[in-house]
Amino acid sequence: MQVTVRVERSTGTASYSVDTKAQQTVLDVLFYIQNELDETLSFRCSCRVGMCGSCGMVINGKEGLACRTGLDRLGPVVTLQPMRHQGRIKDLVVDMGDFFSKYEAVRPYLTPRPEVQDPIVASPRSKLREAIDLGLECISCGLCLSACDVMTAVPEFLGPAALNRAYNLIADVRDDARDRRLAVVGQARSGVWQCHTHMSCVEVCPKNIAPTRAIAQLKQKLIVRRFMGHRERPIPKLQYIVKEGG
Amino acid sequence: MSTQVATLESHTFDVLVIGSGGAGLRAAVQASVPGVSVGIIGKSLLGKAHTVMAEGGVAASFGNVDRWDGWETHFYDTMRSGHFINDYRIAEKFAHEATERVLELEEWGAVFDRTPDGKIMQRPFGAHSFRRLAHIGDRTGMELLRTLQYKAISQDIEIFQEVTVTKLLKDEAGRIAGALAYYRATGDFVLFRAKAVVLATGGWGKLYKVTSNSWESTGDGGALAYRAGAEMMDMEMVQFHPTGMVWPPGVRGLLVTEGVRGEGGLLYNSEGERFMLQYDPERKELSSRDVVARSIFKEVQAGRGTPHGGAWLDITHKGPEFIKRKLPGMYEQYLTLADVDITKEKFEVAPTCHYTMGGVRAEAETCATNIPGLFAAGEVACGLHGANRLGGNSLADLLVFGRRAGEGALAYARDVAEASSVNAQEIETEMARVMAPFSVSHGENPFEIHEELQDIMSAHAGIVRSGPDLEKGLAKLQALTDRATNMAVSGSRVYNPGWHAVFDVQSMLALAELIFRGALARQESRGAHWRTDYPDELPEMGQWNFVQSIDEGVQAVPVPQMPKELSRLFERGMAPGAWTKQQEGKEN
Ligand SMILES: Cc1cc2nc3c(=O)[nH]c(=O)nc-3n(C[C@H](O)[C@H](O)[C@H](O)COP(=O)(O)OP(=O)(O)OC[C@H]3O[C@@H](n4cnc5c(N)ncnc54)[C@H](O)[C@@H]3O)c2cc1C
Ligand code: FES
Repeated sequence: MQVTVRVERSTGTASYSVDTKAQQTVLDVLFYIQNELDETLSFRCSCRVGMCGSCGMVINGKEGLACRTGLDRLGPVVTLQPMRHQGRIKDLVVDMGDFFSKYEAVRPYLTPRPEVQDPIVASPRSKLREAIDLGLECISCGLCLSACDVMTAVPEFLGPAALNRAYNLIADVRDDARDRRLAVVGQARSGVWQCHTHMSCVEVCPKNIAPTRAIAQLKQKLIVRRFMGHRERPIPKLQYIVKEGG
Repeated sequence: MSTQVATLESHTFDVLVIGSGGAGLRAAVQASVPGVSVGIIGKSLLGKAHTVMAEGGVAASFGNVDRWDGWETHFYDTMRSGHFINDYRIAEKFAHEATERVLELEEWGAVFDRTPDGKIMQRPFGAHSFRRLAHIGDRTGMELLRTLQYKAISQDIEIFQEVTVTKLLKDEAGRIAGALAYYRATGDFVLFRAKAVVLATGGWGKLYKVTSNSWESTGDGGALAYRAGAEMMDMEMVQFHPTGMVWPPGVRGLLVTEGVRGEGGLLYNSEGERFMLQYDPERKELSSRDVVARSIFKEVQAGRGTPHGGAWLDITHKGPEFIKRKLPGMYEQYLTLADVDITKEKFEVAPTCHYTMGGVRAEAETCATNIPGLFAAGEVACGLHGANRLGGNSLADLLVFGRRAGEGALAYARDVAEASSVNAQEIETEMARVMAPFSVSHGENPFEIHEELQDIMSAHAGIVRSGPDLEKGLAKLQALTDRATNMAVSGSRVYNPGWHAVFDVQSMLALAELIFRGALARQESRGAHWRTDYPDELPEMGQWNFVQSIDEGVQAVPVPQMPKELSRLFERGMAPGAWTKQQEGKEN
């Protein structure tokens, strides 16, 4: 099949005519262009299997991973643009600095509660597990931030990925930085209140995460706190792992 | 100092870690204690390192599901599968410490899958005597990497993303002094000075056309160390994973996790025979990787291959619910990339280059190399896996020796008053070398050179080898290396993929030669190294590791001999835990 690939490059739009085989991905075609037609074409890729989150871009107007988007679904003309709301370095490569600093702002790491000495058992069907599972899937590809409509008006908005991570930790019984984190996500300009549940992030997430759900939960927690005051969270009944023998 | 060098952006750290995969991050976390500055560099963005792809799990002998397991049995399996050219001191520490390192990850936020009674779940994997791999679905590597990454952020380690190191710098006394690198985004050079350096740059699977590895695995660290005078060991040992994807062409080589066989998947040839019953009646599909890969290769050679030259893997008998829960990533990967529903159909698999056992020779205690101040951990280092790596042993390796390398570098840095001085002339020469491809007109295209290199490696130093074939391959490689001195690139220094590829290719060419030389020296078949002109494993060859350095060439160095208390573990001809289990059975 003959496909016209239009790439929005730093120097303007470039058009490449490519003969594609069955079941090729956008990434395959980008490599073909880079190796055979123009070795200066820049894009990111690492794993080729949708695990690392490097190859996010806007494909025919919608955010997607190049390595996971088959050409057969795209028609005879494929338009590739860099992700939105992030500065461009070159061609399809964007500056992820903003994405990462937003992540950092929510303190993305577990701050263990001092009274919990041993690792906590999270049984596969427990609530804790559910909350954590949500976060496990995120590959920090940045597609949600690119698709987020709020970002156009409010560039400071922390965005879906960071807020999703914040919620995972706030919901994690092992974590002790809940208050500080809630304060961050509750900020007027950058926090959860900016989200108007357009669901664009949910639509583009390659891992089917629903950051809007996490954001809704965060809003609820903030409201409860405002009206009920701050109450010490009881430590749930924990099962401990015996260190010897795991 | 020339103005060019004087105006160079420069950073000084007590400990510099090159590589932000699992091993590098674990090392950085260990070295960063109050009062000690640590920097970590990665060629890609944070969290995108090759480690992210690891699916199956991390091997640690908790004995949670098979209570007979223990460190002795993990040690036994590791040495046996490595065909006894591993460094037993490394394997022993490894087997002892893996469990602790896994539990530590949980303290830092990771949550491994659980048994019904709440212990860490363990799955079976090839050539492990017991169910041993702790896992998080089939995205263990991702969670490991993420946990370490967050830990690093919480410890204020300075992180450099998309920075490529092109040279390790030493002082006049031969001690490590730092590294020269460039930002991929701008092409600007940056100088790192450090008291100690940990090398954790991963392997070189990209030398082969069919590979499961990510684009990063171009062996930069191995080449950097070799050029700086480090000793490289067991370079002939390249692991071919038995099950890579075969079709469609774009996905060729992508890994089909061993977890599929671990969870019950069976291998068939085109005639519907379960051929592993014949090649290894005891361990069958879960035999060691070298054996399964070779078996598939032999079946295809004998004309019993699948339409695209592989074998059938079938797990449909486990049922859709089980498959989707246990192997969600694989299910999704086949559905989206190959349009195959593995809960309903068998699918084609064939061997793919997966792991490089050889690498920088490092000692067991601190991962120190022969260059003072340089430590090496993870896939770039050598010694743990011998002639064949066990699945799951790499992630455990990253944790155990990442930590040890971090500790070693920290101790070394504390003993040193300040970072060694760097030589301005050397830096200038290196910058000129790296910039040279911009001024070559009508030179070679780096992508083409890479492709030709992959052809040579696959044809002459792949899963099957022989003396004459290796000689031929080496000659081709040398001709290619000559041509590669004239690589050219166009465009600017800003995120220029062709320019980046030049450096990658230079690294790979250097290591390719070491693979050939090692493979020629090892005149036998052992583990992953299979020579048709020497088809047997030879006891006298098993006494040597082949060590190569830029000054000394190839040298045979004796494999360290186990003391009695360890060698006795092998006297029964069966794993210690398996023996205990058998005894218990007899008593009942
Ligand atoms: C598909 C797949 C599945 C796997 N599954 C498992 C499994 O289930 N269990 C298991 O134990 N093992 C598994 N492995 C093997 C394991 O993932 C790797 O061996 C391991 O992750 C290597 O980690 P590392 O830290 O040594 O290096 P890597 O993760 O490769 O990281 C290397 C780092 O060095 C950086 N770097 C490289 N060159 C330079 C340079 N010139 N300048 C600056 N930085 C540089 C890179 O950017 C990167 O950050 C799997 C491998 C693959 C490919
Ligand atoms: S290349 Fe890793 S997600 Fe696409």
